[in-house]
Amino acid sequence: MSTTQLRKDVRPLTIDNVTVRFGALLALSEVSFSVEPGAVHAVIGPNGAGKSTMFNVLSGVYEVSEGEVRFGDEVLTGRKPHQIARLGVARAFQNIALSGSQTVVQNLMLGRHRLTTAGFVSAGLRLPKARNEEKRHTARVCEIAEFLELGNKLHVPVGVLSYGDQKRVEVARALSTEPRLLLLDEPVAGMNAEETARMAQTVLEIRDALGITVILVEHDMGMVMGIADRVTVLDFGRRIADGTPDEVQADPEVIRAYLGSGDETDPAAAAAHGTAEETP
Amino acid sequence: MSDTSTATRLVKGVVLLALLVVLLALPLYVEEFWLRTGFAVFAAIIGAVGLNLLVGTTGQLSLAHAFFLAVGALTYVYVSGDPGGSAIEYGGFGLPPIVGMVAGVVMAGLAGVLFSPIAARLRGIYLGVASLGLVFIGQHLLNTWTSVSGGFNGRLAPAFDLFGFSFGGNEEPYLAVLGVPFGQAERLWYLGLALCALACWFASNLLRSRPGRALQNVRDSEVAASVMGVNVQEYKAKVFLVSSMYAGLAGVLYALSIGSVAPESFSLLLSVQYLAMIVLGGLGSVGGAAMGAAFVSALPLVLQQYSGSLPFIVEPGQPGIVASQAAAFLYGGAIVLVVMFEPGGLAGLARRLKRQPRPPQESPPVSTTSSAPADSSSGGTPR
Repeated sequence: MSTTQLRKDVRPLTIDNVTVRFGALLALSEVSFSVEPGAVHAVIGPNGAGKSTMFNVLSGVYEVSEGEVRFGDEVLTGRKPHQIARLGVARAFQNIALSGSQTVVQNLMLGRHRLTTAGFVSAGLRLPKARNEEKRHTARVCEIAEFLELGNKLHVPVGVLSYGDQKRVEVARALSTEPRLLLLDEPVAGMNAEETARMAQTVLEIRDALGITVILVEHDMGMVMGIADRVTVLDFGRRIADGTPDEVQADPEVIRAYLGSGDETDPAAAAAHGTAEETP
Repeated sequence: MSDTSTATRLVKGVVLLALLVVLLALPLYVEEFWLRTGFAVFAAIIGAVGLNLLVGTTGQLSLAHAFFLAVGALTYVYVSGDPGGSAIEYGGFGLPPIVGMVAGVVMAGLAGVLFSPIAARLRGIYLGVASLGLVFIGQHLLNTWTSVSGGFNGRLAPAFDLFGFSFGGNEEPYLAVLGVPFGQAERLWYLGLALCALACWFASNLLRSRPGRALQNVRDSEVAASVMGVNVQEYKAKVFLVSSMYAGLAGVLYALSIGSVAPESFSLLLSVQYLAMIVLGGLGSVGGAAMGAAFVSALPLVLQQYSGSLPFIVEPGQPGIVASQAAAFLYGGAIVLVVMFEPGGLAGLARRLKRQPRPPQESPPVSTTSSAPADSSSGGTPR
């Protein structure tokens, strides 16, 4: 695929028989797959398939009803989100969750939270230790911003940036945590073709330059098939396919999930909007 | 871009320095009334900056601020005051006032820690409702625990002194600067100014650093904060502790400012006044909280002082509007105006005057940026 220098501490991720129930609703049902270290792995599926639920399980926001997620030897399930973050799992949100009034650098510095130690006392009194730490990590964060082509917007409040740039800040903030596993939740949703191409390129660059694993939830088929090494397809909370992009595209189950079985009244419209799968 | 940000920082520094010089020189020129008002304002600023860390920065509503002020004030008068009282006897340790002041801050912090398991698990308005209970508990304690509070009529607050330098009472040792004798009012002014400057400095340092960024993200998105590695519960508990310690210090200064403490001073109304200060000043901004606190706390005092020459305002006891009511109307009206026209408060107004664009609360539509180049290209096609 590429001359990726894999980081030595990047471990395989194993999703083992994960089930998530919300009352009577089965959001994920016995889903298993594994993600190789250094891969770009896409999780796709129609609306309501359970992709976001899967991400919320991986980052610790939701608890599983059954099953287990392992990152190398570490069990992720049962840990709190901030504990999972400390293991080097970072996530960029689909609906931008940045602090709009803060600058790009300040938002990225939040990503350094797990790598820094300044507390209320040392920060409030501006102790030399806290100031040095701040300076060191600001320099690194500026490099990361540069990498995501945000170098000329470092001190701009995030709220006034364009939508595409805000998405890039989301990714940059996740990268600022120096992750071993990067979760990207619909990084190109709502972007135009040019912005999408740039983001796809960036995802590959991140993987190649840092040698980390990237998991991607995405609706944009063109982008997924173009950059993913492996694709897992979910539908109604079940795993219906798992393989290389070519294998998945040829899978009859996948075609049925996306285009309908032919029994529907208007399969083309259903596929276009992904509404055929809305759970009752 | 970084050049302009250093430039703004420079301008900000110069303005702050000029303000400090004016505040330092003021006792040489103004009357005692303004110095006493100033001390009350410094006390309010400390309390408001503390509440702002909790409400403005972290997005946690608290109506319990009056309770923590009461804890600070009562601890001070009990630790540093002497036993006394005629109708209702009360106790006291009679320790040096600085011990009482530190104890006041520590006790308010302890009270905050006791409540923090609740504060850490609730968010926003739910914490506001839960914290409301503390005000009523405080009122009940103040009225019934008479050996500490002095009961319904309250008790005197001991004058402050530091290593033999008195800030009231006997005014010893004698001190005069440029021919102006420094009495109680001048001395308290400088005490208040020093503590207030320290409190604002600490808070603005906090906001610009790791804990401050974590708190702001807890406000903007709890899920995002936790996924970025912030222990949300821990930070909510810690900011509640810091906020109650600020309130404790404000309570000690409040007692010094009034000269006595009475249960009725620490009612829900005081909590609401503190909320009014930070909303008026601008949520999340230290300077804004200071401006709001100055406005809300000084207004009734100033109106009272000049009630003779102001229309509509009468002396207490006469029919009509007394100064405190007029002040309440005025800042109530000001809040309505702020919420409608400048949600950034006085701080937002100051930013607007500096022509600094205020970041919008929501992300702008993509079209605003993508349409700009499109316009320029279409303008070029006819040629």
